[in-house]
Amino acid sequence: MTDSFALPTRFGSQQLGGCYAPETLMQPLLDLEAAFRTAWTAPAFLAELKAELRHFVGRPTPLTPAPRLAAKVGLRALFLKREDLTHTGAHKINNALAQALLARRMGKTEIIAETGAGQHGVATAAACARLGLSCTVYMGVTDMARQAPNVARMRLFGAKVEPVAAGQGTLKEAVNEALRAWAGRCDRAHYILGSALGPHPFPTMVRTFQTVIGEEARAQVLEQSGGLPDTVIACAGGGSNGLGLLVPFLGDDLRRVAVEAGGHGRALGEHAARLEGGRVGVLHGCKTLLLQDEHGHTAETASISAGLDYPALGPELAALALDGKVVVRRASDDEALAGARLLCETEGILPALESSHALALLTALAADGAATVLLGLSGRGDKDLSTYQSRLGI
Amino acid sequence: MNPLLPFIMAGDPSLEALPRLLAEAKALGLEAIELGLPHSDPIADGPVLQAAAHRAIARGATPVRILEVLAGITDSPDLILFTYLNPLLQIGAERLKTLLAPTPVKALLVVDLPFGEEPAFERDLRAAGYPMVPLLAPTTTLERARQVLAERPDPGPSAPFAQRFAYLVARLGVTGTGQSTDLAPVQKRMSELGILATRPLAVGFGLSDAASLAAVRAMGATPVIGSALVRELAGGRSLSACLAPLL
Repeated sequence: MTDSFALPTRFGSQQLGGCYAPETLMQPLLDLEAAFRTAWTAPAFLAELKAELRHFVGRPTPLTPAPRLAAKVGLRALFLKREDLTHTGAHKINNALAQALLARRMGKTEIIAETGAGQHGVATAAACARLGLSCTVYMGVTDMARQAPNVARMRLFGAKVEPVAAGQGTLKEAVNEALRAWAGRCDRAHYILGSALGPHPFPTMVRTFQTVIGEEARAQVLEQSGGLPDTVIACAGGGSNGLGLLVPFLGDDLRRVAVEAGGHGRALGEHAARLEGGRVGVLHGCKTLLLQDEHGHTAETASISAGLDYPALGPELAALALDGKVVVRRASDDEALAGARLLCETEGILPALESSHALALLTALAADGAATVLLGLSGRGDKDLSTYQSRLGI
Repeated sequence: MNPLLPFIMAGDPSLEALPRLLAEAKALGLEAIELGLPHSDPIADGPVLQAAAHRAIARGATPVRILEVLAGITDSPDLILFTYLNPLLQIGAERLKTLLAPTPVKALLVVDLPFGEEPAFERDLRAAGYPMVPLLAPTTTLERARQVLAERPDPGPSAPFAQRFAYLVARLGVTGTGQSTDLAPVQKRMSELGILATRPLAVGFGLSDAASLAAVRAMGATPVIGSALVRELAGGRSLSACLAPLL
């Protein structure tokens, strides 16, 4: 039992982050931080994690040069960090597996998770099956409909998928319900949050487990091209993928870009672009950039991509953006679809709708003077086939 | 000892009905009442209070509108504003103090604000006469419980119940009824802290029937009744009809 946090809980000049949790969850969060700190320096935990990431997840993932797409958008060179090639098909497994190992180390027998696109839910369900933990995933009913293949995958892995019908039936409501469920079962359950948000220590812990993406990518791009790119770019929902790729490049003299969901318009409710449309507020346990109305109620959001359809930017990524260390841009639904199509046609890779938001920015980056770009391809697009079919008319 | 601390949601069944509900509560002899400020994402509430909050928001019960309705009301028990942090942060401490001044609000219970997260905001409001209610949960260790009570201290016997009491959450989970609440751990926690010797205590979460209310009173604490009452009020029953049998 520990009675105060040891790691920094705040980020940046505006002191974003924090731990705005109901009292019931405070001790579980304090205990989680202590367990995480101990595990992260324990050789046995690190060795097991490394082995699982290699033999179960398939790390390191490749860094694939994409010369035809580079030529098409006007870049000299483009490298894709292939998180789509991990087991379960997205970067989410890096964190889900690490937290599942941590939960087992803490003696927890049940896992709770939320999911938007379903990638975190699938990753958590797979990790739980592998480690013999019972798993319940909360998912909004809208997302269950648009990401149906992932619902089936979770169930095949033995997870219980709990539909959340409240509100818009998307990620925000799924997080609400997962937090409520955890408050009821925190004596035996661990909550595997999938994004770099929520109360401390989740943002720090999730980012730590995801920086393997950027660490590998940095070494790979140096090896393949003899230098660093001038731009590193990733999509950002909560920020686990964005931070995972960008944080290891924070000390480098290059441009770091995170891409939010521009949805289908610029009015509140038509997008999930938090930097431009949000104000600092508190949601789901952390203070960060939040899409909200004038009463402090969370605003509705819209995006073709379930994984980016969330009203808050993770606090660390929001802090990096506000302090000028990461540039945040937006891509609309239509631009993301066009980006996906271009990657399919030039390189034979089907990206997730989330990753397609980063792809959508390539032409603009080239026009801004970028020549060499490293792009985080966070996930594969099989789960989005029905959306691609209906929206692209194929 | 205060026999009952009821919770009602501002704006449910309607904002217009609020002054009458408060007057009824006063006529019943209630010393204090928790008034919920509806929030879009009530992460610590069960289905009944979630639904009440969403109904209230849909009817236009915004935080500022609610405080405006409360302005000038004197025929009311002391109010403890039960809310989530973000709406208050967006109003800001200065404006909030101005809005609260003409109301019967005497304290704030902010579900997602542990001590130490917004020290300036909390200090400012306490100095203006709006202390935060200390919450203790089943997961709160004895050491942390002592810390919570010290950080949110009892202003002393001359202050009203609303500003003095600590809130003991009786079970894990969210607000609402449905499962019986074992009060033995509550009793144990109370004796460990020796709290009643110094400070009034309210016990809530999962209480709805007369027997569990009586059990809490027998321990010397004030039972909180929330979801069960909100459900009855939404169904059209009067506050007096709901509460008189429980007093």
